[in-house]
Amino acid sequence: MEETPRLNFMWHLVWDFRAELLRGLLTAFEVAITALILSLFVGLLFALMKMSRFALWRGIASTYVNVFRGIPALVSVVWVYFGWSLLFGYNFTVYQAGVIALTLLYSSFFAEIFRSALEAVHKGQREAGQALGMSRLRIFRSIVMPQALKIAIPNIGSMYIGMIKDTSTFTVIGLAELVFVMQSINAEYFQPFVLFTAAAGLYVAAAFLVDFVFRIVEGGLSYPKVGRVKRFLTRRKRAQIQRLVEAN
Amino acid sequence: MNALISLRGIRKSFGTSEVLHGIDLDVYPGSHTVIFGPSGSGKSTVLRSMNLLEEPTEGSVVFEGVEYGPGIPGDATPRGKKIDLRRQVGMVFQQFNLFPHLSAIDNIALSVHAVTGKSKDEALERAAQELKNVGLLKWAMNYPAQLSGGQQQRVAIARALSLDPKLMLFDEPTSALDPELVGEVLAVMRKLAETGMTMVVVTHEMGFAKEIGDQCIFMDQGYIADSGGADFFDTCTNKRTKEFIGSVL
Ligand SMILES: Nc1ncnc2c1ncn2[C@@H]1O[C@H](COP(=O)(O)OP(=O)(O)O)[C@@H](O)[C@H]1O
Ligand SMILES: [Mg+2]
Repeated sequence: MEETPRLNFMWHLVWDFRAELLRGLLTAFEVAITALILSLFVGLLFALMKMSRFALWRGIASTYVNVFRGIPALVSVVWVYFGWSLLFGYNFTVYQAGVIALTLLYSSFFAEIFRSALEAVHKGQREAGQALGMSRLRIFRSIVMPQALKIAIPNIGSMYIGMIKDTSTFTVIGLAELVFVMQSINAEYFQPFVLFTAAAGLYVAAAFLVDFVFRIVEGGLSYPKVGRVKRFLTRRKRAQIQRLVEAN
Repeated sequence: MNALISLRGIRKSFGTSEVLHGIDLDVYPGSHTVIFGPSGSGKSTVLRSMNLLEEPTEGSVVFEGVEYGPGIPGDATPRGKKIDLRRQVGMVFQQFNLFPHLSAIDNIALSVHAVTGKSKDEALERAAQELKNVGLLKWAMNYPAQLSGGQQQRVAIARALSLDPKLMLFDEPTSALDPELVGEVLAVMRKLAETGMTMVVVTHEMGFAKEIGDQCIFMDQGYIADSGGADFFDTCTNKRTKEFIGSVL
């Protein structure tokens, strides 16, 4: 008679379903990155409104930030997915609902991150640009924003990791992200320990990857410019300047 | 001869406290005006109202016949736009205010490209020339953090000059420098003065002020308390002025 072990960890499931799991993770990445790009723009817009001379803009921006940073992603996505369809008869896809929910939440964080980064740029920088006769847009684009972005980038990286994790709550509306995939495999094999350990591992790996990528971006924005990537990207410009130095 | 720039009845308040109580000043083309006086007397505010970095509460800045600033109440003379004034006036700050994310040459090239609309290649060439004039061409690719204070200030001067200003404003350009670096910056300014550039210089370097100044302004508590020509330092009789000069020398 065959003896069955009391604890039967089917670790091979992780390997057997690797394609599905990776697709789930990829979906999480995708929803999060779309939302990241949107949140950066929306967040920057609200940061600028918060710094406006006009009390009305400041009031709108503060209200937005205070409301949406208080709503959990799970609540927000249900509201967007089901509520919107009830109220306005418009049906978002699960993907769209996830992106919108994340954008509402994270743009309010980014508004704060950008505001403090923009304020951290020394006021002499703006003054130098003004004294040279640069336009406001030019000062913002070429002087203030590059410096603010460098200050903000580590925080943006942490936020993106948070966004990836928050996609796990979108299981409730049926978005086929990592946890959703896990749960469907689990429904068949009942291996929660194995599957959720694997999920944890994948999320941690994703966080490491994101951290790594953002460090590269941060390096690219840092100055004085160092690193091979940067040297490679600026080689034409450097050669041009070298020629000017030698010619004069 | 008409003044290049005139301040007419400039008053400035921060909140409820007035720090400039009506400043009148004419600066003639090719002249070198030096402004000195105790800390907090309003020197920077006067200088900064010349390019409207500090918008006066009342009064006008007249540059080549065009009026800028708020004017006096009831005066309906058409006003020029700030940006047009600033494009003709260069300014050098005590803290240099170079752009830390750009190399020395790009600090200048960005300004040329952004303000004059010249192509990026032309802007770089102009930037190289200006760096050469202040003896820093070799340092073109260094970032501000990789330059000494004296070198940074020379880049800042080159950056302002790259836009062909008609007037150069200097706000204590050597005050943030280690003593051994003051000379190189003054040398650049001296050379500039010799080319006939119109300059207004706030400084505590009395030797230098005496050397280049042909209009000398002593400020105290928001007023021009005393003024004179090139011989001001030898001939002034005002007790307060003499006390101040004595305390700085
Ligand atoms: N942005 C500001 N806000 C409030 N007060 C200011 C500001 N700038 C200057 N002041 C005040 O105006 C007065 C003149 O300042 P400033 O022109 O910088 O003097 P100086 O350059 O002669 O040292 C000082 O009392 C200073 O405290
Ligand atoms: Mg000052």
